[in-house]
Amino acid sequence: MTGTELLIWIRGPALQIATVIFLLGVVVRIFEILVLGRKPDLAEPRGSAAAGGLRTIVTRMFADRGTLQRSTFTVVAGYIFHIGIFITLFFFAPHILLFHETLGVNWPSLPTQVIDATAVVTIIALLAVLVYRLANRVIRYLSRFQDYLVWLVTFLPILTGYLAFHRIGLAPQHLIATHIASVELLMVVFPFTKLMHAFTLFIARYYNGAIAGYKGVNS
Amino acid sequence: MTASLERGLNAFREQIDAPVASFFSSCVHCGMCAEACLFYTETGDPSYTPIHKLEPLRRVWQQEYTFWGRLAKAVGLSKPVTDEELAQWETLVYDSCTLCGRCSMVCPVGNDIAYMLRRMREGMAASGHAPEGLVGATRRAVTIGSPMGVKLPALQAQIGHTEKDIGMTIPVDVVGADYMLLLSSMEIMNFPEFIGAIARIFSKAGVSWTISSEAFEATNSGIQIGVSEIAAELVQRVVDAAEKLKVKNVISPECGHAYMAIRWEGPNLIGKPYNFKVVHILELLDDLRKQGRLKISGKETQRLTYHDPCQIARRGGVVDQPRHLLNMVAENFVEMPETGTMNWCCGAGGGVSSNERADGLRLSAFKRKKKQLDVVRPDALVSACSNCRIQLEDGLEENNMDMPVLSLTETIAEHLADD
Amino acid sequence: MTTISNEREFRAALDKLDATQQRLLAARFVTSVLPLCTDERISHAVAVAADSEASAATLAEALRTAKAATIDCHARCGAEGDWEAQAGYFVARAAIAALTPLGQLPGGSAWQAAMSCRMAQTSKSIVSGEETAGLESEQQYRMLSTYMNS
Repeated sequence: MTGTELLIWIRGPALQIATVIFLLGVVVRIFEILVLGRKPDLAEPRGSAAAGGLRTIVTRMFADRGTLQRSTFTVVAGYIFHIGIFITLFFFAPHILLFHETLGVNWPSLPTQVIDATAVVTIIALLAVLVYRLANRVIRYLSRFQDYLVWLVTFLPILTGYLAFHRIGLAPQHLIATHIASVELLMVVFPFTKLMHAFTLFIARYYNGAIAGYKGVNS
Repeated sequence: MTASLERGLNAFREQIDAPVASFFSSCVHCGMCAEACLFYTETGDPSYTPIHKLEPLRRVWQQEYTFWGRLAKAVGLSKPVTDEELAQWETLVYDSCTLCGRCSMVCPVGNDIAYMLRRMREGMAASGHAPEGLVGATRRAVTIGSPMGVKLPALQAQIGHTEKDIGMTIPVDVVGADYMLLLSSMEIMNFPEFIGAIARIFSKAGVSWTISSEAFEATNSGIQIGVSEIAAELVQRVVDAAEKLKVKNVISPECGHAYMAIRWEGPNLIGKPYNFKVVHILELLDDLRKQGRLKISGKETQRLTYHDPCQIARRGGVVDQPRHLLNMVAENFVEMPETGTMNWCCGAGGGVSSNERADGLRLSAFKRKKKQLDVVRPDALVSACSNCRIQLEDGLEENNMDMPVLSLTETIAEHLADD
Repeated sequence: MTTISNEREFRAALDKLDATQQRLLAARFVTSVLPLCTDERISHAVAVAADSEASAATLAEALRTAKAATIDCHARCGAEGDWEAQAGYFVARAAIAALTPLGQLPGGSAWQAAMSCRMAQTSKSIVSGEETAGLESEQQYRMLSTYMNS
């Protein structure tokens, strides 16, 4: 396969395969969770489980003050790179174009300088998060191969995207290809790892809030 | 594989439901649960990280209930859970966790880790990896009716003496009473004045109540060790007595896990709803307060703070009532810096205090409460759980701190107005 | 000549006593049940409580000793209950009440000490099977009467 053929493959069939694996994988994982079900609660409720569940989906985004004081880096760095990924993914004009072409949706983009600065901040935040994972006693203790793999496949798209935008290192079409390939890698790895939390946390937070809400506790 | 390991793994399988699967799927190894757990914060030992305490359960989930996990297992690429591993995990599951649930409040992806640990204990107990002290307590609970071996004659003696002291009869086995009071063995043995306090309050407030001679024990060791059949049997005894006496309500006394057992787990353990209500004593007292049936004279003037028993507040939902009650009998009540559903555990619940092996760890964990007290600097500490009280007294003594630990119910009784 | 004959009079009379009087009276109550406790630290603590000349520092020291003794003998949650040991535990608690500064324990030090002494007697009766309900209270009424008339 020549360089050009590889490019075409990456932008075409590979993307389709990655998308299918991603979507199928996510659906299967969610199905595997929900199919286990939950026994109905026979105790007399004090509050509403459903209201509690929905509430916790939102409130669990925010740490209470004591937790913020004790886990400051994790919370702050976590916010930065998540928001950074969100902004660079959804508000960069070429990305919006891609969504428009595939899904028919459209929305305003942010100025490229903003995206650029956000990408830099996100890259720094991700590097800091990796260092912290290695340096913090508890997080290091918990970490496995998967945690480092997930870090890598999350980091690469932002790094390669930044390089592609600034045309650093390779010819432009190779940089774009690398970037797209890194996204495909992320999509393929996604359903088999903790990256699933992006979807399953809604379920987890809901159950947490429901279990507590039933007893009249806001969790 | 041994038969006991097989039993343990089967129990794990049975306990894995959609919530458990969603929690394990979502964990991102951020470590924030450790910073919420007093066993970690006071020892610095990362093995006490709450989610880590669940590792064997997680592997069973992965290998049995996920497509790739099952595939990996089929081709021999997964690490099976062994008996040795469960033996290693015993101290993590029973010595370094009180089921306090603070981790569950803090996890950013929403994992209810305490919910999972309660379920994990079912497998640990089934495989024979539960602490000796708890096994003994559970055996006594089943055969004698009390985990501490308190028999009816002992309770009757306490009742007899109390009646002489307070000059009123304690109603036993009264059919048709509104409320049936349960008592924990800890109260009967260590704080029997609780019975007199209740009698005086109920008499003044005009509450129709009784104790059952057939089922007076509130403590549920089955919950603590993690054997649902036993937990169910202990609940059923209470249900049978309540139905026999045709009471409308059952009162859960000042004991944390007793409330969780009878109020929230009970109907699910026995498989059907109750035909009576369950109230915590604090809920009832607050209702009486709202109805104006508690006449109080004089207030505590010393600086008081309140320790929320985890199973009553965070895991039980009785949070505001003790505050209303304390403001009724105290002039100078101050909250701890982190309070209510975010208060810190005393370190001794969930079977930890009945486990001698965990003594050192339990006293280390107390240091978290000490830090809270160092900020508040109260003259006295109030709580509503006999086990918390003993642990708090223990911890205060160990740290050369001088303050009495008071029961909220008893304090209210002390301030009842004479008519 | 004052005679205390019931709980109401007992409490009312105790409430009128000052801190030192409550301590000395409480010490008498505890001395009456001291044989039920085998821990020497408690005998020592009670002796200090009974000393009208005891300094604040000595009292505080004795209180700490009494608290340490209680921790050692209270019934552990879930452990097999031993009513004989519980009797000793309640004697220790009575000693603590006697030595606790007035105002910290709802109801007052003397009354709390009296209650704990009665519970010590109850624990003993559970082991011996003897019917002793009310005996210790009556003993305490007599002690209070004697004290007030002296």
